[in-house]
Amino acid sequence: MEINRALLYLIDNSDQRIFPLAIQICKFFNCQLFVLFVLEEHRVSKLASLTRENTKVIRQRMEEEGWEMLYLVEDEAVENGVRTSLHLENGLAINVIRKYVENYKIDLILIRRREETKKVFVASPAPVMGL
Amino acid sequence: MEMNATEKLSAIRELVEHMVANKIAKDRDQLFEALAKRENLESTGIGEGVAIPHARTDAVDEVVLVFARSRPGIDFSALDGKPSHIIFLIASPENKKSEYIMTLAKLSRLLRHGPIREQLKNARNPSEVLEIIKKNEE
Repeated sequence: MEINRALLYLIDNSDQRIFPLAIQICKFFNCQLFVLFVLEEHRVSKLASLTRENTKVIRQRMEEEGWEMLYLVEDEAVENGVRTSLHLENGLAINVIRKYVENYKIDLILIRRREETKKVFVASPAPVMGL
Repeated sequence: MEMNATEKLSAIRELVEHMVANKIAKDRDQLFEALAKRENLESTGIGEGVAIPHARTDAVDEVVLVFARSRPGIDFSALDGKPSHIIFLIASPENKKSEYIMTLAKLSRLLRHGPIREQLKNARNPSEVLEIIKKNEE
């Protein structure tokens, strides 16, 4: 199996634990690492109802945390000589992932095994590796 | 600053020269190499006419940010294929990783907004650029 492009899908800061492994996989296959964070409105609303904070403030904070994760992966990837491409999108994660697989010819999706990523295993159009 | 360069490595070289001339950076070659290395591994063109070349290197003593504009645009190999008209260079010493990541994140978030990009394109002086960033940071 040839892997030219892998997509690392991130949900929140707890996903930081899989960064090193994802980078090592890309280094092994000598493939480009697309790193994706999706700002999902239902997550914003859920957090707003739990914390009673303004949705605008939550959206802004989530977006900034998303970018922080993307740049953290990139920093480590550069240290390891892995080519990266960072992406922050709005929408429903599974739809965005489908779009990326199609538009960027993604060969492999890397995600952390957790409750929220179960649907990616089921609905992804590309092979998924749980880390 | 308004850029004269027309392609990304010469644009980075121009920004580095500006930083050294203004004593923002102390080692021209070290800074250029760090930025070029990153540029070769990824595109720092984030799309919508924006590029954020960046690197961690001890060629600088503090986290620094340089703003530049290019009227014709520079090809930073952005995935959307658009040339970059707004360029923010961020450099940080090796030991200020958190501050560096936070600066990149804040700026990337701001620059996703079309109206902010337009304001930056039309800013008349460095104070206006700072004002736009400060106003939209909260």
